[in-house]
Amino acid sequence: MKAKLKIWRQTPRPDGSVQRELVPFEIDVHEEATLLDTLDAIKHHVDGSLAYRKSCRMAVCGSCGMRMDGRAVLACKVRMAPLVEDGRTPVISPMGNMPVIRDLVTDMSDFWSKIRATTPWLVQDDTRPKPADGREHLISPEEQAKITKESLCIMCGCCVSECNSMEADPAFMGPAALAKAYRFVGDERDDATRERLKAVDTRHGVWDCTRCYFCNERCPKGVDPRDAIAKLGAALFDHGMTRDKGARHAQIFINSAKGKGSFPGTGLLYNGHLAETALVPYTLGPEALLPEWAMMGVRLAMRGKAPPPWHSALHRQEGLDEVQELWRILEREDGPSRRGGEFDTPAGEMPPNIARSLRGMFTARELNERTGTKLVDEPTEESAS
Amino acid sequence: MVTQHDVVIVGAGLAGMRAAIEAARGGVDVAVVSKLHPVRSHSGSAEGGINVALGNVADDDPDIHTFDTIKGSDYLADQDAAEIMCHEAIEDIIELEHMGCYFSRLPNGRIAQRPFGAAGSPRTAFAADITGHVLLHVMYEQLLKHEVKVYEEYFAVDLAMDGETCTGVVCWDLVNGGVKAVAARSTVLATGGMGRMFHGTTNAYACTGDGMAMAFRAGAPLKDMEMMQFHPTTLKSNGVLITEGCRGEGGYLRNSEGERFMAKYAPNALELASRDVVSRSEWTEIHEGRGVDGCVLLDLTHLGADHINRALPGSRELALDHAGVDAIDDPIPVRPGAHYQMGGVATDVWGRTPIEGLYAAGEVACVSVHGANRLGGNSLLETVVYGRRTGAKAAEEAAERRPVEATRTAAGIDMVRQRVNRLLATESGPRSDELREALATTMYDNLGVFRDEAGMTQAVKDIAELRARYDEGVVVQDKGDVFNSDLTYAIEVGYLLEMADTLAQCGVFRKESRGAHSRTDFVERDDENWLCHTIVRRTPEDPEFTIETAPVTITKHQPKVRTY
Repeated sequence: MKAKLKIWRQTPRPDGSVQRELVPFEIDVHEEATLLDTLDAIKHHVDGSLAYRKSCRMAVCGSCGMRMDGRAVLACKVRMAPLVEDGRTPVISPMGNMPVIRDLVTDMSDFWSKIRATTPWLVQDDTRPKPADGREHLISPEEQAKITKESLCIMCGCCVSECNSMEADPAFMGPAALAKAYRFVGDERDDATRERLKAVDTRHGVWDCTRCYFCNERCPKGVDPRDAIAKLGAALFDHGMTRDKGARHAQIFINSAKGKGSFPGTGLLYNGHLAETALVPYTLGPEALLPEWAMMGVRLAMRGKAPPPWHSALHRQEGLDEVQELWRILEREDGPSRRGGEFDTPAGEMPPNIARSLRGMFTARELNERTGTKLVDEPTEESAS
Repeated sequence: MVTQHDVVIVGAGLAGMRAAIEAARGGVDVAVVSKLHPVRSHSGSAEGGINVALGNVADDDPDIHTFDTIKGSDYLADQDAAEIMCHEAIEDIIELEHMGCYFSRLPNGRIAQRPFGAAGSPRTAFAADITGHVLLHVMYEQLLKHEVKVYEEYFAVDLAMDGETCTGVVCWDLVNGGVKAVAARSTVLATGGMGRMFHGTTNAYACTGDGMAMAFRAGAPLKDMEMMQFHPTTLKSNGVLITEGCRGEGGYLRNSEGERFMAKYAPNALELASRDVVSRSEWTEIHEGRGVDGCVLLDLTHLGADHINRALPGSRELALDHAGVDAIDDPIPVRPGAHYQMGGVATDVWGRTPIEGLYAAGEVACVSVHGANRLGGNSLLETVVYGRRTGAKAAEEAAERRPVEATRTAAGIDMVRQRVNRLLATESGPRSDELREALATTMYDNLGVFRDEAGMTQAVKDIAELRARYDEGVVVQDKGDVFNSDLTYAIEVGYLLEMADTLAQCGVFRKESRGAHSRTDFVERDDENWLCHTIVRRTPEDPEFTIETAPVTITKHQPKVRTY
């Protein structure tokens, strides 16, 4: 089949600037060819200077992360046939949130530094008794499954490439490093949980995630880094580490939903309504007394964007009973079902890596027909041309 | 530019990192150079598991593991080396678990173990079907913990030699360009295999025989190079591996008539016979007209969706991505593909080569524990056991050697610079991939699952022609310094051609059938004449090979007829 691509070629100039050029290619490839095979065909038969990383070509080494039509993919995991059939000409560019070395090769040193900063190895206290028989630690399958998803990470960088928080704050630890951090927090054999939690409970840590879920969406291995970040947040609460604004912000939502307690010093009850008046001061702490915050509060109130303080005492949110029941269920089931792993996939459910592969097998139209849903966007005339 | 360390490890897969960690524990200054970032190494592609006689599922014993390994090797393994590996396995795997490695578990909390080919007991510890991946990552964690210096994306071009002594390695800095040398008192090769010389190989693009070729050119002997293992279940389109664990979990092999044909070839072990036996059976079925489009069928459909999703999610994913088949609904078409080089740089049981200062561990080395046929699950084990032993010995002996002065690598640097300049200056001739494609074709056609004199002689002739064309000059279109992979591919093809030549010539030399070396013109194993290793060597000055034999070390197990 004839595959078409447009590739953003990027060459550094001696003065430090970068020459960018979108170059179209058209090349014959075999029916099972992946995007990586297509790049190889171009390199071997058209232009040997095309630069990209590759090695295993079976989605486990993590070398060939790049963007296709603006979304991060592993080149070896993208089947060309459905794209060719849909008449598409995908645009290939390097991963985002990383400096470009050349063409599709990015500089991942910041990525690795952030992984390194999480103390990414098992830490055990000298006082922890070794298994008495000199053998392995006894870990139940359910316990081991708590870190299954994070153990699937191949460190390809696709999640970081798409991370919106990191785009705004390059110092944000990012989804890959935070997933790695959870991999040890969730490991029964590790004794450094408090230190690990402290390390992610920082200005650029857990609470800086904007929960856009792009990392879950683009991870090619089903690690679901955003879920790992949520699990870290839950662990921070479990350990009473709730001083960060992010944690306090979450806490007041919880208190509101529970319909219990009152905002300190005001006597105002959370009556099952989001206590918006209390939300800002509780989140910000003493900082809320700063004139600019106070003025903003007044302005919001004047424009009808902030309810008066007594509002939450008088009104009760619809559907609150349901929310509270969900909360009780979650509190009861603080185990594998809440922090579950992929190999524990319940009967009838599809592991996320398989779902991604299935998407690659069929054209958009076929897939939507098979599943009876609009799982993927069908190509419009514009993208097909 | 030259940097100096006590020990330098070339290659950052499992064997390399394990050696580096042990050397660091030995209190010496260790560096690792690798053409890939460590977690990109091909060890991560190992799927099914690692053998160890823990006896967690059924009674087992390291002695039985040793016997299975020796019988599997068709009695070509050195039995002392196999004993060491199988006995030290227990401590090494327990250590991996204590390092934090993820393992699939039994309900009682112990490490789970599954049956694997030609094993007398369910002995293969695993993490679903991503065992190599979890091992590689836990080893990288330990590498960081031990603060080992890693020169990432340094492509090793040649060993630095000072007379008869190895003094380090000379590299091309892939990201920035430029020749960089790492001088060391001990140099450990851990560069993995050379499967890329075959079509339809399971090996990563990086598996190009670099370490074997560098050692060979420096005069180190290579052992049993004809012994290339063919894995029975690889995908047709690109050779991607579907783990033996699929059969360990109960998968069937069927021919076009739906028959479980292994009953004819290995009535007891069936699908779990040793890899050479299963590959030959498949080849026979396909060539006698009972194949399906050049493949046989790996049938998992009877296992059911839940079993497949739990135990073999990676295999399902690979079959979807690379063959367009969902293993829950349909059988996966598979065929034998080049998988593992059992031969390699000859070492003793401490990873030492005959060259002073040079060591080797993992697939690049031949201790030999795999002989003529490696058991599934023994390669990961070898990397861990012999990686550790080699790292320890390299560190211990480095401390006894005098420091290497940076100037001792000057000759090597000059030579590499000349080679690079010559490659970049070549204006006419073939591209490197054209030669690699031609090589892969003749290797697949003539040195596959079955071999004969005529085919192998043809391959020797083809390779000689390709080598002559390579020596005349290949064109590197990329003339830049920054991430010039066109240049490194060209150097890799040179490694592949020379190593393919050793494989083909040793194949012609061994006039019997043993393990993976299966000749249609000498169909029987011939213990009287060929219970011996082949040793191929050259000198740095003279590219002509000499081939001779060396005795096999036999301790307890006299050769017997091998059936499954």
